[in-house]
Amino acid sequence: MIFFAMDRLPRVIVSAFLVLAACAASFAVARGAHKPFSSDAPAYRKLGPEDAKVVIVEFSDFQCPACKYAEPPMRAILKLYEGKVKLIFKHYPLERMHQFARAGAVAAECAGKQGKFWEYHHELYDRQEEWTNDKAEEMLASYAKTLKLDSAAWLACRKDPAVNEAVNADQKDGNNAWVGSTPTFFINGKRYVGAMQLAERGGPFIEKELKK
Amino acid sequence: MKLNVPASAGLAARLIVGSVLVYAGATKAAGPSEEFALVIGAYDIMSKEMVQTAAVFLPWVELLIGWSLILGFRLRESAIAAGALFAAFLFALITVKAKGIQLPNCGCFGDAIHFTPLQATLFDTALAALCFAAWKAAPGLSLDSWTEGGYTARTNGKR
Repeated sequence: MIFFAMDRLPRVIVSAFLVLAACAASFAVARGAHKPFSSDAPAYRKLGPEDAKVVIVEFSDFQCPACKYAEPPMRAILKLYEGKVKLIFKHYPLERMHQFARAGAVAAECAGKQGKFWEYHHELYDRQEEWTNDKAEEMLASYAKTLKLDSAAWLACRKDPAVNEAVNADQKDGNNAWVGSTPTFFINGKRYVGAMQLAERGGPFIEKELKK
Repeated sequence: MKLNVPASAGLAARLIVGSVLVYAGATKAAGPSEEFALVIGAYDIMSKEMVQTAAVFLPWVELLIGWSLILGFRLRESAIAAGALFAAFLFALITVKAKGIQLPNCGCFGDAIHFTPLQATLFDTALAALCFAAWKAAPGLSLDSWTEGGYTARTNGKR
């Protein structure tokens, strides 16, 4: 009986070890898909001082309602910490769900090339319900007009494959950063997903970072 | 009515359920917990403080149960635990439906696969049925059989 118990116990231990090792191995394999990502963007998609103590990288989709909800807390943060925080905007259009998201991203990118990325960005979020439908083309052009962009240059830019490539590059960065939902914010590298996490936990984290 | 589940069917059932749990657990455990926390938070069934802890902890529970099922370690307990996990998830989905909450996705597989709540309910129910088959069938090829030298002593060779 004792021999049986002794014989069984090592087998149980080995079995438990095998299960734990399999857990660790599958975690390591899944973790292997984690790649470094670039948080850089063209100058027109950056806001705030270059040497800011706090850098926020935002992956966002212009058609995403959750991204629109995150705008008020983000604008409040930028106002509150003006001069201390730098925001970098990265495109992450969720095209499976949002059919007009890429058009919005490309339109904003072309506004950026004329120095009005943030103005166009605000138009897209503030009027999201207005352009995310069959009137997208017409509305996007009307915002360009409102912002007094050079229409011909803006239209030509939208057809430029390099602009789409820039959006693709941001998407790739988002994939490498394991962005699954928009908006996703990285504040000095720490991830916050959605307006609530940004407002409730992002603010105190910025305070903490600024006190360092 | 006595229901007999052949050992081969039990093995197939536990391999399917185990693989699903391992895939779901690994993608979430290796990915950012904030993503999963966002989805758990949307279910509105636990406090904000608990959400982040659950987002870190739950994927590892899935991994552990998944591998226990695949390798056949503590098979009966693992099948019950997996069944309880699916039942809890079904309860969460029903609660969400009753409250009229719109989920971004079910959160089952992290960012890898997005299910609608209806798809998740059907999938979850099917997996719960497979858990029953895994629980009911004789252990067959498993660590339990190796440990106990055949059918478990506790069940006297019966399921």
